[in-house]
Amino acid sequence: MGHTPELDKALSELKKVTGIVLDVYVDSPEEQEFALAQIHSLSLAYKEKYNKSHFLQSLMTEGIPAYDILKRASNLHIDAEVPRVLFLAETKNILDDTIIQVLKNLFPSQSKTYLVSMSEKSIAILRPLKVCETDEDMDHLSHTIVDTLNMEALTHVQIAYSGNMDTLSELPGAFRETSLALQVGKLFYSGQTVFPYNQLGVGRLIYRLPSGICESFLKEIFGNGAPEPFDAETTAAINKFFQNNLNIAETSRQLHMHRNTLIYRLEQIEKKTGLDIRKFEDAMTLKIAIMVMNYLQTERNS
Amino acid sequence: MASLSLKGIQKIYPNGFQAVKDFDLDIEDKEFIIFVGPSGCGKSTTLRMIAGLEDISGGTLEIDGKVMNDVEPKDRDIAMVFQNYALYPHMTVYDNMAFGLKLRKVPKDEIDKKVREAARILDLEKLLDRKPKALSGGQRQRVAMGRAIVRHPKVFLMDEPLSNLDAKLRVQMRIEISKLHENLGATIIYVTHDQTEAMTLGTRIVVMKDGVVQQVDTPQNLYNTPCNLFVAGFIGSPQMNFMDATVKVEGEDVTLTVGEHVLKVPASKKKALLDSKYDGSTVVLGIRPEDVHDSEAFINSSPDSVIKSKIKVYELLGAEVFLYFDVEGTQMTARVNPRTTLRNGDDATFALDMEKIHLFDKETELTIVN
Repeated sequence: MGHTPELDKALSELKKVTGIVLDVYVDSPEEQEFALAQIHSLSLAYKEKYNKSHFLQSLMTEGIPAYDILKRASNLHIDAEVPRVLFLAETKNILDDTIIQVLKNLFPSQSKTYLVSMSEKSIAILRPLKVCETDEDMDHLSHTIVDTLNMEALTHVQIAYSGNMDTLSELPGAFRETSLALQVGKLFYSGQTVFPYNQLGVGRLIYRLPSGICESFLKEIFGNGAPEPFDAETTAAINKFFQNNLNIAETSRQLHMHRNTLIYRLEQIEKKTGLDIRKFEDAMTLKIAIMVMNYLQTERNS
Repeated sequence: MASLSLKGIQKIYPNGFQAVKDFDLDIEDKEFIIFVGPSGCGKSTTLRMIAGLEDISGGTLEIDGKVMNDVEPKDRDIAMVFQNYALYPHMTVYDNMAFGLKLRKVPKDEIDKKVREAARILDLEKLLDRKPKALSGGQRQRVAMGRAIVRHPKVFLMDEPLSNLDAKLRVQMRIEISKLHENLGATIIYVTHDQTEAMTLGTRIVVMKDGVVQQVDTPQNLYNTPCNLFVAGFIGSPQMNFMDATVKVEGEDVTLTVGEHVLKVPASKKKALLDSKYDGSTVVLGIRPEDVHDSEAFINSSPDSVIKSKIKVYELLGAEVFLYFDVEGTQMTARVNPRTTLRNGDDATFALDMEKIHLFDKETELTIVN
């Protein structure tokens, strides 16, 4: 048999990971299988021991037991006790060299900021936190990453970020947090590109509810006939009214709408839903109901 | 450079929310088009659909006659400058501008030519060896522009590129962008929520609200002849004053009654009210602050447009004064000469320049007459 394409591929991968060049000849399919298993194990062992990205990837996906984290981090010269924040970016297209190069150059200090590919379309950015940086700074940095990738790599990007971590052992939790933020954000706030871990609101709860419970909830509020989705103008008026804490004067000012027109719209909403959103309790119910309806609609569409 | 055509463009998100509705616009080669509107009106979403960063849910986008709906952003021949740009901190200005071309494997001498040309246009030639931290805010912004210019795109897309700059720098950069448009002869689509930016930069402005185009026109026309109440209120600072007024027709005379004030409608504005049978109806009367006068000469010559009130706030801005007062429960603003003697708490008499009034249908909010 000598060389086979499978063997050549495995040897090339081994060279890429370890730098070791091997020449292997096999005489039978059994020997090839054995050789492939050996080469694969060698690559894996090397990655586990020497590759920071592989270590961080395994850590995020909970592939490393808690007792082993500090020792392995130390072997890889990763300071475990540095405060950090995790960003998880998801691109529309497969991560290509341009995206990686842009990110590498945005965070040129690779001994401090780690870029870890998590899937073919998502990449984690583990960045140290400077002393006086706040959530606002992280939000700004997230927008900078998105805008820079938009401009330089010409690709659609959405990004979520975690809370502050004090040690590396908090990384699996931070990854769960950002993954959830990305999922919930895409579902409930699809027009946005940045999803902070701590601003998911009621979406965090609704995301975990089974469709059956959501439908029962809607039935309880609207009876058997859930209202038709609101048109964009009404939706905008409702959202702005909520943002302004049910303040009619401020909402009509921001919408450039006459006060009486807004009141008329709110009365139309009451006719349609039975909810007078000038009252806090009804406003809260409608807010949640709209989110549940959006959630179900998205589920159906997907 | 390029012309663009947007026909019935729509954006509907998976949750059913319609962010942009039936957006129709033809953009000529070398035009400087501004999308303006309040936050959430769909202007950035439309720009991102043109860029290819958002899928188009309905309608057709053409660049130079070619349908672009399903073309990847990198193949649309566009360049973008967004609000939160970042320069690569460890690279020089030259390398920052060259980076995108290097990634596209453009030959070295071609990169050099393009970077130096962009640096010349942006007056960055002497700064090419500097690192970003040694640049001022305005210089950094110019480097960000340079990264877009070196691509020689058909269309420049800019999404609030000046929002992160302070007020003084914003004014300076506005002038730079205007010069850049002249020098490049480029087609530029520019998104802003700042109507001053819109008025000073655009050859045409697209005013949007709730995902719907309200009016597309030149800055001058938008200011003088708004098509509805929203555009009238959105364009202009301080914004247009609005009051509810009842129309009364008596023979040849048409008057507007605002509480106890009776204002005579001039001949130039009468016809629209008579033709549309507004007699007895309530309409919205709009008047710009600069068309509310406090000078004795104007008041004496316009006895049929006088309103009386008490000054609530006096604001001196140097070259002009804003006076705030109430008329029948509605707050109004007058922009007057700084030599005015009126002060807080004074009883004041104003006269409206009735030739400059705008009237809007109260139900439809559409313009009756400008």
